[in-house]
Amino acid sequence: MTKTLLTIVIISIMIQFFSKISYSVEPEEFLQNPKQEIRARDISKNIRCLVCQNQSIDDSSAPLAKDLRALIRIKVQENDTDEEIYKFLTDRYGDFILLKPPFKISTFLLWSLPFVFAIIGIFILFVQNKKSKKLS
Amino acid sequence: MKKKILIFPFIAFLFILIVFFYLLVIERDPSELPSVLIDKKVPIFETESLLHKKKFISKNEFGTETTLVNFFATWCGPCRDEHVYLKRLSNEKGLKIIGVNYKDDPNKTVEWLKELGNPYSDVIVDSKGLIGIDWGVYGIPETYIVNSKGIIKYRLVGSITKKNYNAFYSKIKKSED
Repeated sequence: MTKTLLTIVIISIMIQFFSKISYSVEPEEFLQNPKQEIRARDISKNIRCLVCQNQSIDDSSAPLAKDLRALIRIKVQENDTDEEIYKFLTDRYGDFILLKPPFKISTFLLWSLPFVFAIIGIFILFVQNKKSKKLS
Repeated sequence: MKKKILIFPFIAFLFILIVFFYLLVIERDPSELPSVLIDKKVPIFETESLLHKKKFISKNEFGTETTLVNFFATWCGPCRDEHVYLKRLSNEKGLKIIGVNYKDDPNKTVEWLKELGNPYSDVIVDSKGLIGIDWGVYGIPETYIVNSKGIIKYRLVGSITKKNYNAFYSKIKKSED
């Protein structure tokens, strides 16, 4: 029983591991210069595929994702900075194309609320703790 | 004492429940994205025209009358479905419609237009989908309303249907306000 369970766990971990290293980038897309290729990959990982919206274009095999990967590689070869490439994409597709939303006035609540809730939580814990100590 | 503690989580839970229920009930398509090009000038681009023997230069084409820009392809099923409505907008309403032939085979497109009729004042070639990227296209068919000042006023993602035709037409009329 424990043996089968262990095998299942090991297999599922292995699946996780191997799925992490399988990307949708096809060999003919690779750039000759490895440094540029790594840069293009890093940028692609932050760009949302707008067809399969919870995947990055690095993971997605949608045609639009492939087009955008190719476009990013062209821009990397032309020595555009990361900021220039991100701006090119957000000018056309909006901030939604970035998997990580930027910190702006409109996203202020999004970024700050977790901290606010954490502080409220700690405060409640602190108060409750004090109360229970008093009772005992 | 204990009752007081339970009230806050209960209200919070109820609030979350109402919000989720509201989002479920309202008609909304989460895959439909707002365009960032709204209220901006049309992108500048040049390409080949499929119907006329001249280059299509975007600067010369917009800014005189209300124009629809329709991204389509012969391989796209919904494009075929909306064709009849594009013809209606062109024939009955006299609208100028520019068709962007997205990643398609020109010969097939010419055949397609012969078969279904041509609602377009011009059909332009976007063989690699780069014009599409400039317009923020992520899934065809997409139709943009450009007003007579050359400003993009609306984008419809998906096809024009019997259901949304009237609403879409009122958006066209509103684009000049």
